[in-house]
Amino acid sequence: MNAALSRRAAPVLAVVRLDVRLLWRNRTALFTAAGLPLMFAALLLPARGEEIDGRSAALVQGTGHLGFFLIFAVFMNLVSVFTARREERTLKRMRGTALSDAELLGGSVLTAVGMYAAQVLGLLVLLGAALDGRFPADPLLLTAGLAGGAAVFALLAFALSGVTPNAEMAGLTTLPVMFACMAGSGVMFPLDELPDGLREAARWLPLSPVVEITRTAYFGEDADGAAVGLLDGWSHSLYAFAVLAAWIVVGRYLAGRLFRWEPRRG
Amino acid sequence: MNSEPVIHVEGLRRRYGDFEAVAGVSFEVGAGELFALLGTNGAGKTTTLETLEGYRPAHGGTVRVLGHDPHADRRAVRPRIGIMLQDGGFFGDLTVAETVAHWRGFTPRPRPADEVIGLAGLEDRTAVRVRQLSGGQKRRLDLALALLGHPEVLFLDEPTTGMDPAARHATWRIVRDLVDGGTTVVLTTHYLEEAEHLADRLALMHRGRIGTSGTVAEVVAGHGDRIAFRLPEGLPVAELPAPRGAVPDLAVTGGRTVVTYTVGGGGLQPVLYELLRWADEHRVALDGLNARNASLEDVFLSTAEGAAA
Ligand SMILES: Nc1ncnc2c1ncn2[C@@H]1O[C@H](COP(=O)(O)OP(=O)(O)OP(=O)(O)O)[C@@H](O)[C@H]1O
Ligand SMILES: [Mg+2]
Repeated sequence: MNAALSRRAAPVLAVVRLDVRLLWRNRTALFTAAGLPLMFAALLLPARGEEIDGRSAALVQGTGHLGFFLIFAVFMNLVSVFTARREERTLKRMRGTALSDAELLGGSVLTAVGMYAAQVLGLLVLLGAALDGRFPADPLLLTAGLAGGAAVFALLAFALSGVTPNAEMAGLTTLPVMFACMAGSGVMFPLDELPDGLREAARWLPLSPVVEITRTAYFGEDADGAAVGLLDGWSHSLYAFAVLAAWIVVGRYLAGRLFRWEPRRG
Repeated sequence: MNSEPVIHVEGLRRRYGDFEAVAGVSFEVGAGELFALLGTNGAGKTTTLETLEGYRPAHGGTVRVLGHDPHADRRAVRPRIGIMLQDGGFFGDLTVAETVAHWRGFTPRPRPADEVIGLAGLEDRTAVRVRQLSGGQKRRLDLALALLGHPEVLFLDEPTTGMDPAARHATWRIVRDLVDGGTTVVLTTHYLEEAEHLADRLALMHRGRIGTSGTVAEVVAGHGDRIAFRLPEGLPVAELPAPRGAVPDLAVTGGRTVVTYTVGGGGLQPVLYELLRWADEHRVALDGLNARNASLEDVFLSTAEGAAA
């Protein structure tokens, strides 16, 4: 059983090893995927002591970052990986080996998600150790929300890479998504501060449900600060999970339509 | 001996948008055979090969590789075939040794790294970034990677393009050894000499179709040997002889008229003999006289011209 499993995992891990090495060699990509999150995390420290709506500002923003880091490690990273490999025709060459399509693409997604998971763990330690946070109230809910977010942004990365003409352009095509999510998903400030109509629209951005679930799971309170029990956290998050599910369906559809293995000719 | 062909293509069609790049191509390749696809630029060789490799589905006809549909059944077919693309990319930041090591990770039961690097002839370049290899060296690494998994079927798309003559001969030796060992090979090439040297059978493609196919001897057979010389000054064309019934064909090149006789079944010797006797009797000097067997090049050029007209 174990031997069979490790034989099945071997090709995927071979792709992970290649991805890690290539990321390490490409300092620009490494900076986007790991350097930017590090900077955002470091910027939390000066916010220590300030408050937003009776909560520590650093903790509010820090819990927002738990979701926000999906943009760097998963979304931007995968868009540029798939675009660059398609245009350099290395995707085509890798596809000519014994690797299946799922192993080939899954390995890159696994690398990205693994790097993101490491960033989440690091950030949780920072929140707990340096910013007076505590252990997340509902770790399972937290994991479910972040995992759903990882699925959405990996799928969106497949789709966006298909319409990104080359690796240099990947920085530009991902930028609107990054800004929209940074401003409209409650990462830096709670969505309550937006006017009504805008707030309802903002809840439908792909990152918004992730941030909402993350905060509920971390604080064990809903957005108004009322304590919620363990199961209540999940029922409070139903709407957010529905939005995530909708994005997974949309992302899956767009990825299927737009992702390309080879450069467009002519 | 297994009588099932390893590769079976029947009526293959493949479009890009409205343009039909492959318009009904059929051939079979048996186990341990080397089949070469030749043809003009844009004839559809790469498209045919990539359909056999499972990169894209056929839009019409049937394609079977090792008994499977290579696109629908990629999982079953890919581990058993080796692919050398016309334009696959490398990770330029990896060294030769790193590239081989990572590719071994993608391959079940791969050849040892040393053997692969030896096949590529890159023993003294293992620490060099692939980006810095010359075009021919990249092509050799390409070939070696295609051989990594001991493939039963090998697809080579212009394998020796950009190689120096020594590297080309080394590659031919490698390919010949593989075929002797039972590997089935399909290759495309623009070097007619390569096809003559390696191919058991070949096909000439033009505009999505196969014009002629068979062994080199069969393909060349109908095309006749040639005798040519410059039309002597002052000799009326009407006075040219018709040795053994061969009809003179005139073409102007470089300001001079060249007379060519294309010789059918009986061979060069009797026709040449009659021609020389006529020249002797009429005291005509045949400048630039040459006689040669039909070559693949003649067939190639006539296929290209014939269909262009
Ligand atoms: N992805 C594509 N999109 C549109 N047209 C294509 C595509 N690939 C090939 N074609 C067209 O299909 C035709 C056949 O191309 P193909 O690459 O199969 O030719 P080839 O015989 O391999 O030529 P060459 O000897 O130059 O390599 C060409 O006219 C080419 O322009
Ligand atoms: Mg080609």
